[in-house]
Amino acid sequence: MATLPEEIKAAMQGVIPSHVVTCARDGTPNATAISQVYYVDPEHVALSHQFFNKTVRNVRENPRALVWVMSPQTFDTWDLEVEFDHAETSGPIFDVLDMQIEAIASIVGLKGIFKLRSADIYRVISATKNVSERIPLRDIVEPRGGR
Amino acid sequence: MDAEGHKAVTDERPDAQPLRTQIVQNQQTIDRLNRDLARVSNEVRVIQQISREITSTLDLDEVLTIVLQAMERVLGFEHSMILLKERAADRLRLAASRGYEPSGVGVEVAFGEGVIGVVARRRKMIRVGNIGASVAYLRGIRARLEAAGQLPSGGDATTLPGLPAAQSQLALPLLVKDRLVGVLVVESPRPSAFDELDEVLLGIVGNQAATAIDNARTYQMLESLSRLKRFFSPQLAEAIVTGGADDPLKTHRREVTVVFLDLHGFTAFAETAAPEDVMGVLREYHEQMGKLILAHEGTLERFTGDGMMIFFNDPVPVDDAAERAVRMAVAMRDRVTALSSQWRKRGYELGVGIGIAQGYATIGAIGFEGRWDYGAIGTVTNLAARLCSEARAGQILLSARVASGVEALVETDEVGALALKGFARAVPAFRLVRLKPAT
Repeated sequence: MATLPEEIKAAMQGVIPSHVVTCARDGTPNATAISQVYYVDPEHVALSHQFFNKTVRNVRENPRALVWVMSPQTFDTWDLEVEFDHAETSGPIFDVLDMQIEAIASIVGLKGIFKLRSADIYRVISATKNVSERIPLRDIVEPRGGR
Repeated sequence: MDAEGHKAVTDERPDAQPLRTQIVQNQQTIDRLNRDLARVSNEVRVIQQISREITSTLDLDEVLTIVLQAMERVLGFEHSMILLKERAADRLRLAASRGYEPSGVGVEVAFGEGVIGVVARRRKMIRVGNIGASVAYLRGIRARLEAAGQLPSGGDATTLPGLPAAQSQLALPLLVKDRLVGVLVVESPRPSAFDELDEVLLGIVGNQAATAIDNARTYQMLESLSRLKRFFSPQLAEAIVTGGADDPLKTHRREVTVVFLDLHGFTAFAETAAPEDVMGVLREYHEQMGKLILAHEGTLERFTGDGMMIFFNDPVPVDDAAERAVRMAVAMRDRVTALSSQWRKRGYELGVGIGIAQGYATIGAIGFEGRWDYGAIGTVTNLAARLCSEARAGQILLSARVASGVEALVETDEVGALALKGFARAVPAFRLVRLKPAT
């Protein structure tokens, strides 16, 4: 059975920022908000690496990390245990991330300045839906049509 | 069923709860998959219908309308637009939209600019569900870079077509083989409005649309090519349809030199001669004159039996319009003189009279749907026509403006002021005697 359920995809479109918790080699934790966790396949997610920051440095020393994502449609949240696998600087996943970044950067006048350095691929060890956090949403209509 | 078995079902064993949750979740998944399946089979059916519709017409506007209607009717996308690639540039132009006020038709997007421009440049589909958040994030970064002096301050790059508050965009390159025809865009003010299934469905419509659009454009191009070839040289017609030259059929104003010629004695000849002979003479005359028009790069505006009207300086600008006109007129006179000696042997008395004038005219398509002509309107054309009818066989009459323009080139006689129909005052005219020998 796939580690990532189908319904988690909505939480991976970058609508609600996600959180990533990593640790340095000496165990010092670091938590940060990131704009988007990309769904790669049922076993993998990708994070974009534009700037060299603590998250990028930590996972290269200590690959385990925890990712929290929220669906903007149902407000369901998930905790993902992940492990940094490798960084890609070309290929289809890199292209998708790079293209999105290029498109948005060109809108705000940062064309060619704000660039993707790599698509960091993480293997998903577990995905736990936080059922208890769910808010009853009886009044929310299934979001179809009228787009 | 025995008592033991019955008890096993009703009894809450401590490990039953997670199992029950799992069963409920599985059932939910099955329900969702069934819903998706129903949606897909319904949409695929409608998409087949659309593809039949769009491949059955060669009218570009109709194709675009069908595609955009389908976006709303089948997929529920209220805001959609189609941008087409310009023929000669890496640029898109908004060709049709639905769900926008104003429509934005005509707006241009350079390759690489915004979501749409990036799709055009990379020829790959893009689906973004968080434009608002991403733009806000990057604006923050830009502000920091600007504050740190690492970036000159500036606003957003350009104004792009679309919803000002779009949160989600799904943009698809329209490709025929590997050639980009345009970009199909749907967008929504709601975040995360499109999913993977939308990508697939849009992709199917997009492939059909790309081919239909391409066929319609090719047809349109061939049609306008054949129309343009009636007035212009094949090279110029090609340049116009491929975007290398302005469309001369769009109304514009320009100074032109106009040459009018007709065969004196033609009416009498046509009344008495056999129709075959009349056609034979005309064909010979047109063929010879046509060669001279092409050689001097004139634009043949019209034939009227034995008459012809030729412009210079439109649609191709030339800086020696009057000189070309005069040289062509002299060559024509010489050629007709040669022809008329043959015609005389057959008993026909024909000679050419030519009038040349220069001035501003309004030029463009004149006529009505199905019968458009390229034409010029202005005093200059009337003047040339009147001078032509005043000219005796073998004479070339010039307006004062033309005469002074080619002073260095030709010898002229002053004819005096002529009272011409349509002109309140007498018009001074000059007779071209000969080209001055080259010095």
